[in-house]
Amino acid sequence: MAAERTRKRKRDQEDAIAKIKKGKQTKKKDTKKKKQGSDDEDDEYDDLMDMYKKKKPLPGQLDFCELCNKRFTVTPYSKSGPEGGLICTPCGKEMAKDAKAQQKANKPVVRKARRKIESNRLDGATMRGAKTLQQLCIEKIAKHADDVEEFGDLPDPIMKRLSEIFSKKRAMKPNTMKLFLQPHLDTVAIEEAAYLETEDFDQIFAIVPNIKKLSLRNCCQFKDSTMDYMIEKAKQLTEVQLLGANLVCNDKWIDFFIARGPQLKALKLEWLDAAFDDQAVQALAEFCPHLERLKLERCKRIGVESIDAIARMQHLQHLTLRFCTEIPQERLINMITSVGANLRTLCLENFLDGQNEEPVDFVIEAIHNNCHHLSKLRFTENHECSDASYVSLFSDWNNPPLRYIDLNSTRDLDNVNPDGPDDYPIGLGSAGFTALMKHSASRLEYLDVSSCRHISHETFTSIFDGTKQYPNLREIQLSFCPVVDTQIVATIFRSCPNIKKVVTFGCFEVKDVVVPRGIVLIGAPRAQDQIEQYGDLVLDFQREALGELEKAMMVAAGA
Amino acid sequence: MSNQKLAEYVTLVSSDGFEFNLLRSAACLAGTIKKALDPKSGFREGEQNRVHFETINGVVLEKVCEYLYYSQKFAESKDVPDMDIPPALCLELLIAADYLDV
Repeated sequence: MAAERTRKRKRDQEDAIAKIKKGKQTKKKDTKKKKQGSDDEDDEYDDLMDMYKKKKPLPGQLDFCELCNKRFTVTPYSKSGPEGGLICTPCGKEMAKDAKAQQKANKPVVRKARRKIESNRLDGATMRGAKTLQQLCIEKIAKHADDVEEFGDLPDPIMKRLSEIFSKKRAMKPNTMKLFLQPHLDTVAIEEAAYLETEDFDQIFAIVPNIKKLSLRNCCQFKDSTMDYMIEKAKQLTEVQLLGANLVCNDKWIDFFIARGPQLKALKLEWLDAAFDDQAVQALAEFCPHLERLKLERCKRIGVESIDAIARMQHLQHLTLRFCTEIPQERLINMITSVGANLRTLCLENFLDGQNEEPVDFVIEAIHNNCHHLSKLRFTENHECSDASYVSLFSDWNNPPLRYIDLNSTRDLDNVNPDGPDDYPIGLGSAGFTALMKHSASRLEYLDVSSCRHISHETFTSIFDGTKQYPNLREIQLSFCPVVDTQIVATIFRSCPNIKKVVTFGCFEVKDVVVPRGIVLIGAPRAQDQIEQYGDLVLDFQREALGELEKAMMVAAGA
Repeated sequence: MSNQKLAEYVTLVSSDGFEFNLLRSAACLAGTIKKALDPKSGFREGEQNRVHFETINGVVLEKVCEYLYYSQKFAESKDVPDMDIPPALCLELLIAADYLDV
């Protein structure tokens, strides 16, 4: 009795399951049909036709596959073919695979090595079209650096380029470095010397004794002994650039200045924190009277006394300083007063007085009064000098128009009042920028006013109005000037016929700019897929220029 | 235009006597060849549409020609695939490329 009941229950269960499965299938078919035919009439018609169709076999029964015509057992998982009939398991699997492939093909292809491409672009390696043959060869050589035995007689610019690329690829190891040492050279420049050991540096002076110009960056293992060897061997040395040579003690620097004193023309030292203090700079001023080019950046142990020492270097033409301490402005003014007259380049980064609460403009005044031959000026990261001081700097300045101006990050710093004081604008503002362009626009090639937040929109539009032309301007940096918008960028393209690069990081009003051919716009924040926007279009004003060029060529050809 | 007078194809001759005929437009992608063939320069190369390279051998010049066509093909496209260069040829090719200004 009990057994019979269980059997009955089992049978009921099976029926129910079969019913459910059947229901599922018809439901599936319904949805499919709805997708295929959009019209309701069609559906009704199909339903009508379904009545005359052969009934589909239920799971467990046998049917012929719609695709391969093989007989197979229908399961709840059997798929329906393109004509609506059922298909066998192998055919079903095949179909699923195809569908997956189709889906994959429809997905947008994510470009491989995108980061690499972007990096190349920022390096300026690929603008458009193929790389140059030289570039291709150099890259290939760098890739096979370990197999190269000797370079032979390569032209100097190529050697330099190769050295740079080896450095960039971190391929400048002791074995590859020797490729760049040839007895006839007078320059050794290694951008990335971190892998080189003390003996390798000695090799430079052993193999290239006539070296005149030495440039080593990240030369961590450049030690006192190397310095001794350099003093002994490299008698012709006139230009030295060392970055991060922290194992050379103070006395050795002084020894070097004494040994190469009168002939030393250029010295560039960066990132020194262990040694090289005021005494060394004083020795430099004393023993190297003919120094023309001096760059001291981020040397932690030098301060006010070094500024006084630099003031005694009468032959300086190019001066770049970035100190890690605050310098009272009287000392800085004193320095500018004594060396300013001969300077071609003056770069003062992050020089703050720190003592006065009120704006102090006398440094800029000193530049105005003493420098009359500048072609490059950099005065950055300053929140003490007022807009008025920049106006007076560029007004009636007895200095030819500048080629290179970098005044980035000269703005007021006050979280409470982001626009700066109203009555007394701090940093390069509208008036200062107008005066700057009035003075230098005719020759200006490079302009950096990043983070000069107080320049107004009207000032930008009046300077770049689309009709005034700035024929030499090639690069302009406008990052973090919040007022810069699409209109300003578009008029810059029109106002600067030779512009190659516009940088607008953090200018959130720059949207959907049409970038003309040959120009790159970097940092447009709303750009959907790329940080850089390369111009594809030949805009109308460019077309005019091209047309004129063509006409001129035809005339020339006719003549 | 004046292009009618100019032949469409020019000949580059290597130091070991191999001759390569290629489109003038491609050949002129190399600055040195362009200057040599320019009728305004008035060189014999320009009249004969034929440039002889004493310092470049056939193997290298063949690769240079390959590059010139490759460069012309991709002149307007972005993200160009790099051309394959056999490592053994690199240094010689580099010197030739420097000379030809490509």
